[in-house]
Amino acid sequence: MNRRSKEALFFNIFRGCALFVVIVLVVILGYILINGVGKLSIDLFTQNPAPNSHGAMVAGGILSPIVGTLMLMAIVLIIAVPAGVFGAVFLVEYGGNNRISRAWWMIVNNLAGVPSIVWGLVGVGLLVYYLNFGLSLLAAGVTLSFVILPLIMVATKEAIEAIPPSIREASVALGATKWQTVRHHILPYSASGILTGIILSLSRAAGETAPILLTGVAVNAAIPSSLSDSVQALPYYIYLMTQTSDRSAAIPMAYAAALVLIGVIVLLNLGAIILRNRYRQKYRW
Amino acid sequence: MSDIAVQDLNVWFDKNHALKNVNITVGGNQITAIIGPSGCGKSTFIRCINRMNDLIAGCKVEGKVIVDGKDIYDKDVDVVDIRKSIGMVFQKPNPFPKSIFENIAYAPRIHGVTDEDGNVHKASKQELAELVEWSLKRAALWDEVKDRLDKSAYNLSGGQQQRLCIARALAIKPEIILFDEPCSALDPIATAKIEDLLIDLKNDYTVLIVTHNMQQAGRVADKTAYFYLGDLIEYGETKQIFENPKQELTEQYITGRMG
Repeated sequence: MNRRSKEALFFNIFRGCALFVVIVLVVILGYILINGVGKLSIDLFTQNPAPNSHGAMVAGGILSPIVGTLMLMAIVLIIAVPAGVFGAVFLVEYGGNNRISRAWWMIVNNLAGVPSIVWGLVGVGLLVYYLNFGLSLLAAGVTLSFVILPLIMVATKEAIEAIPPSIREASVALGATKWQTVRHHILPYSASGILTGIILSLSRAAGETAPILLTGVAVNAAIPSSLSDSVQALPYYIYLMTQTSDRSAAIPMAYAAALVLIGVIVLLNLGAIILRNRYRQKYRW
Repeated sequence: MSDIAVQDLNVWFDKNHALKNVNITVGGNQITAIIGPSGCGKSTFIRCINRMNDLIAGCKVEGKVIVDGKDIYDKDVDVVDIRKSIGMVFQKPNPFPKSIFENIAYAPRIHGVTDEDGNVHKASKQELAELVEWSLKRAALWDEVKDRLDKSAYNLSGGQQQRLCIARALAIKPEIILFDEPCSALDPIATAKIEDLLIDLKNDYTVLIVTHNMQQAGRVADKTAYFYLGDLIEYGETKQIFENPKQELTEQYITGRMG
């Protein structure tokens, strides 16, 4: 085979792979859209799930799962984001490059790969029973925070390490303290990378089912009025709908909820893109 | 301007003995060039003078570096104060990814400015603007950038970026400026501009420059120190070092038989 046909061959292999990815994405999104769009209505967003005449929770809307998911994400935002970002900053900037900090990062990397059901188990054992949180919004939110804490740390570390060491030297040589260097240079310059990591992690948290299944959701939970109430959430609602015997009523509701969940994640990512572009514009390399 | 007296300076990076018993006195209002082959410790030496080596894990420094009569390695010395009074320019231009103005205004913003009575106060907008203009003029960059101070520093050419870094160092009002191979990433024209600037700066500052370009040392330096494998081999007037080296090792390097 000559050089040119080899070139064409590999080009076409790569093109095929790219096409495959696009097709899979379009099929999944299209399938959910087609099956779910029929159920989209004002009622869907304004009413809580209600039992139908057979007692299955397939009637009504999905207000409480939507609000529940947003509340869970708010808790994750409050707990996991500051802890993850500042924890990673500490390990990178102050921990040094020694055996202890390398061991820390090994632990963090491994935690990032732990299956979410394991976190659910930790949540139910540690939070729900040992610390007496009960099956609650708080327990579920904290468990979700556990899941994405390592993801945020790894994303923060990578964003920080992408800043050339010469920038750090420039700041220090001008007499900036370590904190000033972190505050004025490291964090702002890595903000777009950190934000991307945060949003991707939040999306992941929004979609997780296993951790909240064991720690805080309930079939007929209303919108929580306190942290100790149980909660509904979109992924759990979808799971419930697939388990209901009244399939003809339940499956369209599951698709509608899936559509809304994807919508929430898309909105999040849009927010991330806007924020990221703002930082990119501010700091031009 | 400040003299720098280095006494029995030893530096280790873990097991590696990078500088061995270096004794040298660098005078003010002149340019001192540090030359020597790669790995001879010249960068390590210059980084001892503003304690940049402190940032490197496993680095151990012994001996004294006396600036203005004070050993900067004394226990009660605040390393940030040292770096505030010594400017440094690095091998590759390293402006912050901000505007030209903000690059230079950064240090005065965090340190404040000192008035005639020696009191430090927060820099006003007016003072910052004046300081930025003064620094850029001093670094011979003002005319090229005065209309685009709010543009990113990364829009500048490499040589302009390096002069911006010099202006940024001047804005801290140092007495000593350290140059660590400032022209190694620049073309000959940009290099010539920096060299002119160096010669101009020596009237007001103590200037140290590390270079592996021997012609450059010959062109700009009043005194030259030759390092080899962590030892200070020879130190003297640049003319004497280049024309009449006393040490065999220096002669070998100067004449290109080694290095």
